[in-house]
Amino acid sequence: MNDVNTWRGVAAATGAADRAAAERGVRLAYRTAGLAEPERIIWADSPLAGVTAARSLDGGGRSVRDAVRTRPWAAERRRMHDALGPAGWAAHWNTTGARLWDTTRALAERIRGGVLDSLAGKPEEAAELRPVLLDAVLGQHDAAWLAAFDGRSEPLEGLAAVARHAGWWWPYENAVVICERPTALHRDEAGRLDRSDGPALAYPDGFALYAWRGMPVPAEFLDELASLTPERIRGESNAELRRVMLEHYGYDRFLADSGAKPVHRDETGILWRIALADDEDVVTVEVVNSTPEPDGTSRTYWLRVPPTTRTAKEGVAWTFGLSSDAYEPVRQT
Amino acid sequence: MFRQGDVLIMPVAEESVPAGIAEAAGEPRDARGRLILALGEVTGHAHAVTGRGRLIREPGPADGPMLLHLPEGGRVVHEEHAAIPLPRGWFRVVRQREYLPGSVRIVAD
Repeated sequence: MNDVNTWRGVAAATGAADRAAAERGVRLAYRTAGLAEPERIIWADSPLAGVTAARSLDGGGRSVRDAVRTRPWAAERRRMHDALGPAGWAAHWNTTGARLWDTTRALAERIRGGVLDSLAGKPEEAAELRPVLLDAVLGQHDAAWLAAFDGRSEPLEGLAAVARHAGWWWPYENAVVICERPTALHRDEAGRLDRSDGPALAYPDGFALYAWRGMPVPAEFLDELASLTPERIRGESNAELRRVMLEHYGYDRFLADSGAKPVHRDETGILWRIALADDEDVVTVEVVNSTPEPDGTSRTYWLRVPPTTRTAKEGVAWTFGLSSDAYEPVRQT
Repeated sequence: MFRQGDVLIMPVAEESVPAGIAEAAGEPRDARGRLILALGEVTGHAHAVTGRGRLIREPGPADGPMLLHLPEGGRVVHEEHAAIPLPRGWFRVVRQREYLPGSVRIVAD
């Protein structure tokens, strides 16, 4: 039995699929569903290539996704729900699938969006591919619910085996289209796609998504980040892109370069405010780490807080969901 | 109330611990037998508690607060911060967050 962290790793796995192991999983899933094993297994280098291959598949027959994936999943869910009871099931889900649900669901959604965006010039094709896209079995990105059933549901072993070794796949009567995993996946601490010097998600055929802290950005935009100036940042009319620019440039550097003045200072830190045209003010608290670095210096960092913040302490307290009065650490390191 | 980097540990009176929490399943310990309050996914550094006790995730969002019960007290450690001894009792563990127009995100150090 694996733990939820193992499945977290499966969801984020990059690098070449283990094709033999994935194909064994596919065949097992078909046999478990009472179906004949597929005659052909076709590999694709990305979900974009996969959806295209699935759409143009010749002689694949009808989709058997319901039989292979949906029905066994629903039956196992019902069985476990009955065995554990509603509260027991909820508690079990909370410690397994729920941990992975938001990040993997968001990632799959971004990939769907990226596939459709890459076909933006061909609206007819996008309209045709959208339902096929929604019909994929998500392989590694099914990690959340597979984590909940791990070690308890023999009928799902085939699906779990594919997920451990490959990406998205489309099961048909006579054929399966199955995708490679990404070659690169970069996320921030909150699990959002995030990379400033290249694609945050990339597949072997070049299909890629660019993002900064979850926000989709054009590839060219990232190139520009290296040469930003405060004037360029102030001049950017798109508020979201301007925020990305500010974060990348650094609040501290921007404060220094624009000659900003501190608004308030107390024992918790310093409050700064930057006024922006046509946008709410950027208000940050400057905090000094209580534990010095190995070289003896203390690291200073900036956290953005709501624009209504009036004092540094109020800002720091807000970062922990507390009012200024309630925030009284007796010891901090 | 104790703070280690981006984690705040607030004492909670035993009588205000929500019903059912005391019996709820606790978080598993890591390979070194520690309770992980917060894990930096990039650095691999963790705010972790050593000693007897349990960590219980409160129902709600995945990054929601957790309750920590230390029947004999304990110690919170981190690779980059000085350790903090904790008295015995119940605590609520809160991750630091940052404001983003329209949303809020969790901070990690």
